[in-house]
Amino acid sequence: MGIRADEVPFVRAYDVRHLSHFNYHDEAPMWWGFWGIILIETTVFATLIASYYYLNLSYPEIPPAGVKKPDLLLGTISSLVLLSSSYPMHKADSASEKGDITTLKWGLLVCIALASLFLVLKVYEYSQVEYRWDSHAYGSILWGIVIFHSVHVTSLVLKTIFISYLAWRGFFNKERHLGVTINGIYWHFVVLVWVPLYLVLYWSPRLF
Amino acid sequence: MRIRGKSISSTVATIVGAILVLFLTSCEHAGFQSTLNPKSTQAAEIAFLWWVMLGVFTVVLLAVTLLVAAAVLRRYDGKPGELTEPQKRNMVLIGGVIIPVVVIFVFVIYSVSVGRYTASVPHDAPITIEIVGHQWWWDVRYRVTGRPLNVRTANEIHVPVGVPVRFVLESRDVIHSFWMPNFQGKTDLIPGRRNFTWVTATEPGVFRGQCAEFCGLQHAKMAFVVVASPEDEFYAWLERQAQPARAPVTAAQIRGREVFETTSCTLCHTIRGTQALAEVAPDLTHIGSRQTLAAGSLPNTRGHLAGWLANPQQIKPGSRMPNLYLKNDELDALIEYLSSLE
Amino acid sequence: MENPERETINAPEHNRFYSAEEVEDVAELDRTWASPPGILGWFMTVNHTNIGRRYVVTAFTFFLIAGVLGLLMRTQLMQPEMKLLNPDLYNQIFTMHGITMMFLFAVPVMEGLATYIVPLMLGTRDMAFPRLNAFGYYVYLLGGITLYVALFMGLAPDAGWFNYPPLSNQEFSPGMRVDIYAMLITFIEIAALVAAVELIVTIFKQRAPGMSLNRMPLFVWSILVTAFMIIFAMPVVMVASMFLAFDRNVGTHFYEALSPAGQGPLLWQHLFWFFGHPEVYIIFIPALGMISSIVTTFARRPVYGYTALVLSIVGTGFLGFALWVHHMYTTGLPQLGLSFFTAASAMIAIPAGVQIFCWIATLWGGRPQFKTPLLFVLGFFFIFVLGGLTGVMIASVPFDAQVHDTYFIVAHFHYVLIGGAVFPLFGGLYYWFPKFAGRMLSETAGKWSFALMFIGFNVSFFPMHNLGLMGMPRRVYTYIEGLGWNDLNLMATVGAYVLAVGILISLINVIYSALYGRESGPNPWDADTLEWACPSPPPNYNFSPMPAVDGLHPMWDMKERGERPIVTGVRTDMRQVLTTTLMDARPHALSNLARPSIAPLLLTGAVGLGFIGFLFSIYWLILSFFLAFFAIVYWNYPRHDERTPPWQKEGENGD
Ligand code: HEA
Ligand code: HEA
Ligand code: CUA
Ligand SMILES: [Cu+2]
Repeated sequence: MGIRADEVPFVRAYDVRHLSHFNYHDEAPMWWGFWGIILIETTVFATLIASYYYLNLSYPEIPPAGVKKPDLLLGTISSLVLLSSSYPMHKADSASEKGDITTLKWGLLVCIALASLFLVLKVYEYSQVEYRWDSHAYGSILWGIVIFHSVHVTSLVLKTIFISYLAWRGFFNKERHLGVTINGIYWHFVVLVWVPLYLVLYWSPRLF
Repeated sequence: MRIRGKSISSTVATIVGAILVLFLTSCEHAGFQSTLNPKSTQAAEIAFLWWVMLGVFTVVLLAVTLLVAAAVLRRYDGKPGELTEPQKRNMVLIGGVIIPVVVIFVFVIYSVSVGRYTASVPHDAPITIEIVGHQWWWDVRYRVTGRPLNVRTANEIHVPVGVPVRFVLESRDVIHSFWMPNFQGKTDLIPGRRNFTWVTATEPGVFRGQCAEFCGLQHAKMAFVVVASPEDEFYAWLERQAQPARAPVTAAQIRGREVFETTSCTLCHTIRGTQALAEVAPDLTHIGSRQTLAAGSLPNTRGHLAGWLANPQQIKPGSRMPNLYLKNDELDALIEYLSSLE
Repeated sequence: MENPERETINAPEHNRFYSAEEVEDVAELDRTWASPPGILGWFMTVNHTNIGRRYVVTAFTFFLIAGVLGLLMRTQLMQPEMKLLNPDLYNQIFTMHGITMMFLFAVPVMEGLATYIVPLMLGTRDMAFPRLNAFGYYVYLLGGITLYVALFMGLAPDAGWFNYPPLSNQEFSPGMRVDIYAMLITFIEIAALVAAVELIVTIFKQRAPGMSLNRMPLFVWSILVTAFMIIFAMPVVMVASMFLAFDRNVGTHFYEALSPAGQGPLLWQHLFWFFGHPEVYIIFIPALGMISSIVTTFARRPVYGYTALVLSIVGTGFLGFALWVHHMYTTGLPQLGLSFFTAASAMIAIPAGVQIFCWIATLWGGRPQFKTPLLFVLGFFFIFVLGGLTGVMIASVPFDAQVHDTYFIVAHFHYVLIGGAVFPLFGGLYYWFPKFAGRMLSETAGKWSFALMFIGFNVSFFPMHNLGLMGMPRRVYTYIEGLGWNDLNLMATVGAYVLAVGILISLINVIYSALYGRESGPNPWDADTLEWACPSPPPNYNFSPMPAVDGLHPMWDMKERGERPIVTGVRTDMRQVLTTTLMDARPHALSNLARPSIAPLLLTGAVGLGFIGFLFSIYWLILSFFLAFFAIVYWNYPRHDERTPPWQKEGENGD
């Protein structure tokens, strides 16, 4: 039989009393957890892009003959709107780190407004498209990608509304802002992931 | 509890013995639907590859098993049982890296060279057999360069011995897989795609093949017959198949043809020379000459034909052939007619 | 023994011996970490030991059910033209057998075991996101139950576990069956992903101080690699099945064969196998970790070639993503490309060989103790190597063209799955059961069970190689007389029953020993890793005081030195754990874990409503999106006492 664990005397190796339990970045499991989610989502978007090209292999050109390419102008404008929202988010996040709650509160609202504008533009843009997801394989994957990304933006907006509600209630302060940081990381991710999607959907049919 | 060394090594010996016996006996048993009884140059190459791999990998398995046995069963009567650090390292290096690398290297080269042969479909081959997979039967057409023949049959494939034959494979519904174990590895029939394979039969005989990709309810009963025959016999058979259906002679046969033409049979089947020209179901022009019914599931006897016509759903539940609810006299006449279509 | 890390110790009087009472208020710890009582409390529990145990028990239940389905199939195939199962039922049964074994048994059981064992091995009190853990379990449970409800309603999926379109399209599979496949696979994979993130973060951040990456037990390494593989593999099958669900329900054309080159059907195959191949290693790699633990313990010595083993596990993980096309050799893809996959597949033999020989080197001269766990590992050697070698054979394109989709493949994958995962898992069960239950399993029954399983397995699955070579395709509900398959099929069926008896003995052993087994004490095998440092079964808080580590074999080190390094200063009045740095596990911060909550159950309900509701109408999915949002808000809503923590009110300085 093995020696009983409780028979061996303890010797103190570490005392951790002094360590902080407010964690911001890589100290916080939550921060790592969000990177995990971002990794998962990246895999999803990569799969979508791979499927886009694979399905289009069977057409001599993308999109198939007779199908209009997505509208470059509208697409670009809405993309710029979305991209620009990263800036106020960054401002809000770093303001919260400094304890500047006013900037945080208003920054979040600007973000919500920009992302909502993006959604409105997207709805307008795609209401102009004359084919739908059930028209052909190209339509399926195009609409699939756009809707999937828009759902992300929607959930981003909802989440940020919740965060900004907490901010207006005075929940966050100099120490306690992990929620803002993480929401910010996710925000930047959803914005940034649109860049490759935009290039794939709007530019690759025009360049190749 | 200690297990004694002898009993383990004798167990190992028994197991290995059993492995070899099993494979060798199955080689003996190997019949008309077996990869171990190759009847084409392609299948022969693959079978040889298999025997080589079996030999080499049996040695690997044996070596590993014996090493494990040796490791755990060594006696430790005071003698130091330890391996030295370099000995351990060499064991891992040789067993885990060097031998596998060498074996894999040879294996990949050998396998790729066999693969290049078996996949080198001769697109200029004089004989092309076009196969379309359906749930759950095979539609077969022949194209022979220089002979304007119109041969369409079903669930039966004839190939000449000694001549490369090209197959074109397509599907109209779901994915099937065309497999003649004695002749060639399988190739899928994928809707929207065209695949190719080829066969050079080496011996005459009658064999069986079967759909190998799960394709729904009756995947199990989607088989076919393969007949390899000398070239002249093959062409003679082909000429016979190219003829329109034999005209009915006896009264029963005439009545049978009438039944055929007036019931729903014509909605799906073809009998060349009659009004039945639909292509949804097997061509019946020479049904009487075929060896099986219901895609390789039943021998083509009058009894089975009667059973099939009376109640296909019982024999092959889910089959696309509906129950016809024929009256007894209609059934008899129909059987009479169909069996006459040699 | 020299210990450079001792310098980092910041306790002035670190040479003093402590008693447990001096370090921590155990009664308060117990209160803090206790789960709420009652039925509602059962649903609020978040402790990893509870969730892990539930996972393992549920997964084994699914194993037994799927095993019984396997027996049904074997009975149907015992003789030609048997009439036990009609084709419709047979197709549902083999599909459910495959789905259950892969999605409801093999992956969850590994994750469940990891959920239980990994935090103990790391010397921490819970996983990083306890509520997420509970959420994952409920998702898995709900998904599994729904599938079986469907089976009993005759609505189970019936297009095979890889469910190829067009067969799985609306046109050829009308009705709800394939929708159930598509929605529930996606749903259940949520659980896998959640567990993966959870395990990664826990392993990265919550190792006992001193447990640098190169002192992590191999089991933890294997789980880490598995979790990363899950993250890159599962999303792909989720996308694939959502495409399928949309094709079937809203008229998209992802998998349609309209296009001239038939991309649609092949798109599914690529996506499915890009997931499917890593999936088999996701099942197999945790087993590598278990084997390493068992071999170390019963050879009574450090495993030989720790670094080589870590590298080979990581290597297998990477290589596993470059093999998927070997499931598609017969689809008519260009030969040149296929050759690449032959080479890549065969290359997996190198890390596999390194692993095998490292263990042999460890066992050599180690005077191994023939306890049941080790017997299962020895069984693994024979069965897995055989299955691995047939794997290399079928990596050959021409040979695979002959045996693809035949019983040769069925034999290959049962050899690797049962030899490579089920046998080690049973070994692990016998090994860790004392930790779960505080009682030993019967050795005699264990050995009988092993013997019957080993013999039964080989008798059952070995002949399948021959059947495949002799032309028997897989997924056939019956076969005709006269093909020479009768004897071998009968043999396979008999073997399956022997195997079942072996499993039954273990089942009885588990139930009996859980009630009447000999008490085990904390470390019955004299094993080396930290999970054996806490009492068996572990209390709610796992360890008091929290352990620290300065070697790869903390339990052996501690015995040798006669002292046990500990961490002090972790709060006992809240669920607090220590987080450490990623590479060398220095204390980094304290982390307050979430308390028990009903939120995970609510979120499961909200999400489940969407996935199951989608079978009827897409609007449920949209509704569920918003319900889930509210559940998440509820989940994360700061509680009053967290906003102004009580200890701050008491005047203590919180940070
Ligand atoms: C635990 C699961 C597991 C594991 C570990 C493996 C391991 C391997 N598998 Fe297997 N496989 C499956 C589960 C698994 N497989 C499943 C479930 C399917 C079928 C899915 C379905 O169709 O339903 C499948 C199917 C499958 C196919 C497709 C067959 C087909 O459908 O036609 C192929 C083809 O290449 C393959 C190859 C391999 C290879 C090369 C390995 C290698 O990793 C094996 C490596 C191990 C060794 C080689 C032994 C140890 C090494 C030594 C002792 C060193 C000496 C070695 C040499 C000298 C070579 N597998
Ligand atoms: C981890 C994975 C795993 C495991 C462990 C098994 C275990 C078994 N499998 Fe499995 N099998 C698969 C994964 C697995 N299988 C997969 C992925 C497929 C492919 C599916 C597809 O094609 O889509 C497959 C396909 C498959 C087929 C081919 C079906 C076909 O193609 O038509 C067969 C046929 O013999 C079979 C048989 C068995 C048997 C007899 C066992 C036995 O080992 C089972 C042993 C267990 C038991 C017998 C239970 C014992 C317990 C009791 C008896 C106690 C009961 C008591 C209570 C319930 C209280 N399996
Ligand atoms: Cu056609 Cu299986
Ligand atoms: Cu694979």
